[in-house]
Amino acid sequence: MKKWWMLLITLGLIMVLAACSDDDTNGDSSSDEGNTGNEEKASGGDDQVELTFWVFGSAGYDVLAEEYMQENPNIKININEGEMEDVHNNLFTSISAGSGAPDISMVEVSNVAKFMEASDRFYNLYEYGAEEIKGKYLDWKWQQAESVDGSFQLGLPTDIGPTTMFYRTDVMEEAGLPTDPEELAAQIDSWDAYYEAAKTIKDKTGKPISDSPELMFNAIRDQQESQYFNEDDELIMEDTVKEAYDFTTKMIEEGLIGQNALWTPEWGSAMEEGSYATLIGAPAWMIANVKGNAPESSGKWSLTTIPEGAGNWGGSFLTIPAESEHPQEAYDFIEWLVSPEIQLKSFHNNGLFPSAPEVYEDEEFLATTDEYFSGAETARIFAEAAESVQPVYMGVNYSIANAEIVTALTNVAVEGADPQKEWDAAIERIESQLERQ
Amino acid sequence: MEQVKAQSQKRRKFWNEERKEAFSGYLYISPFFILFAVFGLFPILFSFYLGFHKWNGLGEMEYVGLQNFKWILTDPIFWKSLSNTLIMWVLGTLPQILVGIVLAYALNSAIIKMKGLFRVSIFMPYVTSTVAVAIVFGVMFNSQEFGLMNVILGWFGMDPMSWSTSEWGVKVAISAMVFWRWVGYNTIIYLAGLQGIPKELYEASVIDGASVRQKIQFITIPMLRPIIILTVFTSTIGALQLFTEPLIYIGRSYREEGITVVLYLYREAFANLAFGPASATAIILFIIIIVLSSINVFITNRIGR
Repeated sequence: MKKWWMLLITLGLIMVLAACSDDDTNGDSSSDEGNTGNEEKASGGDDQVELTFWVFGSAGYDVLAEEYMQENPNIKININEGEMEDVHNNLFTSISAGSGAPDISMVEVSNVAKFMEASDRFYNLYEYGAEEIKGKYLDWKWQQAESVDGSFQLGLPTDIGPTTMFYRTDVMEEAGLPTDPEELAAQIDSWDAYYEAAKTIKDKTGKPISDSPELMFNAIRDQQESQYFNEDDELIMEDTVKEAYDFTTKMIEEGLIGQNALWTPEWGSAMEEGSYATLIGAPAWMIANVKGNAPESSGKWSLTTIPEGAGNWGGSFLTIPAESEHPQEAYDFIEWLVSPEIQLKSFHNNGLFPSAPEVYEDEEFLATTDEYFSGAETARIFAEAAESVQPVYMGVNYSIANAEIVTALTNVAVEGADPQKEWDAAIERIESQLERQ
Repeated sequence: MEQVKAQSQKRRKFWNEERKEAFSGYLYISPFFILFAVFGLFPILFSFYLGFHKWNGLGEMEYVGLQNFKWILTDPIFWKSLSNTLIMWVLGTLPQILVGIVLAYALNSAIIKMKGLFRVSIFMPYVTSTVAVAIVFGVMFNSQEFGLMNVILGWFGMDPMSWSTSEWGVKVAISAMVFWRWVGYNTIIYLAGLQGIPKELYEASVIDGASVRQKIQFITIPMLRPIIILTVFTSTIGALQLFTEPLIYIGRSYREEGITVVLYLYREAFANLAFGPASATAIILFIIIIVLSSINVFITNRIGR
């Protein structure tokens, strides 16, 4: 008889364990999902509301969440931090399965369209008061997370990535070009001028103007009003980004651009070596990357306006999946988190560039300079860039198209392949992937 | 009459001693089966079901018959991924088996001191995290001139290779990872097999004047045959499911020089949100593994005859 009991208990345990691990999509077993309240009573004695919050990147939201919990003792926020790709994959899996989604998740702009397709799995933030705060944010940024017909708001805007041109002052000096941000921007005021500067740099120093074909392409791509797809999700690359591709491949073939792939160790170490002149199309969040990769190069970097108007690269939104049982509390928290004054804090703590233009009028903000970047007025340059960004429709298949173009560019840069052939092959690969969905 | 009643009752009584014994036995082994049903069997069956549907992971599933298989089988990238996988399988597995046998033989011989240390250290790669291995190898196989492997090539007067984009560079780098990781594992298995070979055979061969090579060829390999078959099988199935190394090594560019079948499947599902074709790929891979395993049986049966 005893044996039976042991067996039953064992079985029961297994069931419980299986159920637990089911709940836990983020591999973080310390989070107590589903046990809202009842566990710890707040000092006020009212039931605590627990919110799970998935973030990626070094947003510094943990510190801000602490602050919010101090002000609102009835709210407890559990933050799960992961890699950007992983967070998106986990979010996708959990809303697809219908269980395990958090109360709040950060979604990066290139993934917004994918989740917009499943807008029924998210709360429409217009129903929670997003209408009132809409005016506080840049139009183009707000629109990125709004449905095409304007009736649904998927997320509230966090940071943005208006693009600028980072450059090495030592290389510019060696090439006889100006090192002062304003003078350099005046000299390189168009892509033609950029091309001329590249030839000068090559002659005088033997160095390429940029080490990354992808960055060069992105810089011009992000200035276009439409990129890979139009609003009906038809592929329109031939008329939009072909120009950027042609310009980049011409530069590659003339030896003006190196062949480092983004995010590789060699790409990182080149920042320290100063083996090229400009990190073109760099957004505000790139500052942390440069400082991390090139700790010894303080004062050798500076930044200025990018020729022919800024684009936007990256930035995120905060969304509330429909599974959340506390949408109002979640909304109140994210509204606070993206409010202009808190965004200003994020900027000072983690370099996340604010998407609320009223911050740009803040004297203290505008006076922000960066010793590392030779004392350049970073905030002012990014703010100017932010104002000139055009709204872009990215489309749900953005990353498919982009990955194939990167492959084509790499083949041209590393293997010396023929640009037109590679372009055609990339289009073919993209189309064959699109027809399967 | 009474007796008959009692007997029939006995027969009708469901929970006799034997049944109870059997039932408790099944209960003891049930945890595995329950877990397997939930996390193994169900996904497998669901994948078969999905293979005939069109689904983006969120919307409605739509029955499309064999359309997914047609797409996959007419996609040049799929065939590319299959040939990549087979090439890496050969590059990674054959040297592994040869080197593994030699290493095991060395570890088993009386000459070597500190056997325990060697055995542990040779097994170490197997317990290392695959991701860490891929990252470290990625640094070693840096395409720049100062990358470790390119420096070594330079010592031999060869030109630097671009390890991350060239057709063979990528494959060699990934195969090197596979080799490094699994060679120790196979060595330990062979070692276990070697322990089982009777010493008398070697003694007899020494009396007959056999050289080391002859010992390996005529005693070790034939006696190890069942073990070799086992390792060939596990390596084959492992190599066909190669995923983590190429994913970390070539990153999310999914370059076609290094894309393996499972990586192709992953790209279909999680990058392109085409879960139907991805499941179809899984089914095709399943069939390929069965076919290759059969070929393996055929070949390994001929070893050492």
